Amino acid sequence: MSIEAEIREMVSEITEVPVEKLTPEADFFKDLNVDSLKAIEIVAAFEKKFRIIVPENDIPKIRNISQIVEYTKNIKKD
Amino acid sequence: MLWDRKKIKSILPQREPFLFIDQVIEIEGVEKVVAVTQLSGDESFFKGHFPHKPVMPGVLLIEAMAQASIILYSIAKPKVVSTNPDYYLGKVKSEFLAPVYPGDKIVVESNAVKILDNAAITDVVAKVNDKIVAKANLVFSIQKK
Repeated sequence: MSIEAEIREMVSEITEVPVEKLTPEADFFKDLNVDSLKAIEIVAAFEKKFRIIVPENDIPKIRNISQIVEYTKNIKKD
Repeated sequence: MLWDRKKIKSILPQREPFLFIDQVIEIEGVEKVVAVTQLSGDESFFKGHFPHKPVMPGVLLIEAMAQASIILYSIAKPKVVSTNPDYYLGKVKSEFLAPVYPGDKIVVESNAVKILDNAAITDVVAKVNDKIVAKANLVFSIQKK
């Protein structure tokens, strides 16, 4: 499974939005009704899956699946 | 004892009979807090839950876990807590493994999963006599007034 597919599945589970509706650019807050609690759940699940820590200042920059995938790639480069 | 009731009341907005933390006995940085609740047996909820077999309601164990988690949050985010915010429990995943009876001493261990300015997740266990009686994953929000 690709990283993007894994992330979509993870976000789908938390947001209860079907995977097929999770387009790469769908904004968590505007399009998917993600609130602050679901946002922290997404971040915590993401951290657990990739064994990383996302600094609090970076969280507002991650607003869609595409940005999570990009964030993961940048971490792997580091 | 690291924190007594007076210090606990300076952080938690809850008051008797809805204050379920008596002492904080261990603090590990911003990662873990261990708190204690000693049940006297005179608590009013035991009268109705249940008249012939008093058992602590599971929802109140969750409340004790949430209060221990607020204390952990206050250690991680003292600046936010100094604004006297409101705390809202948003999501709970829990398991209840054994009953808690009048007179039991409950030890609540709250561990940070993720703590932010406006929300937090904790993994919490409650023990009586070193046996786990309940586990929970709590997601709560913190809102400045």
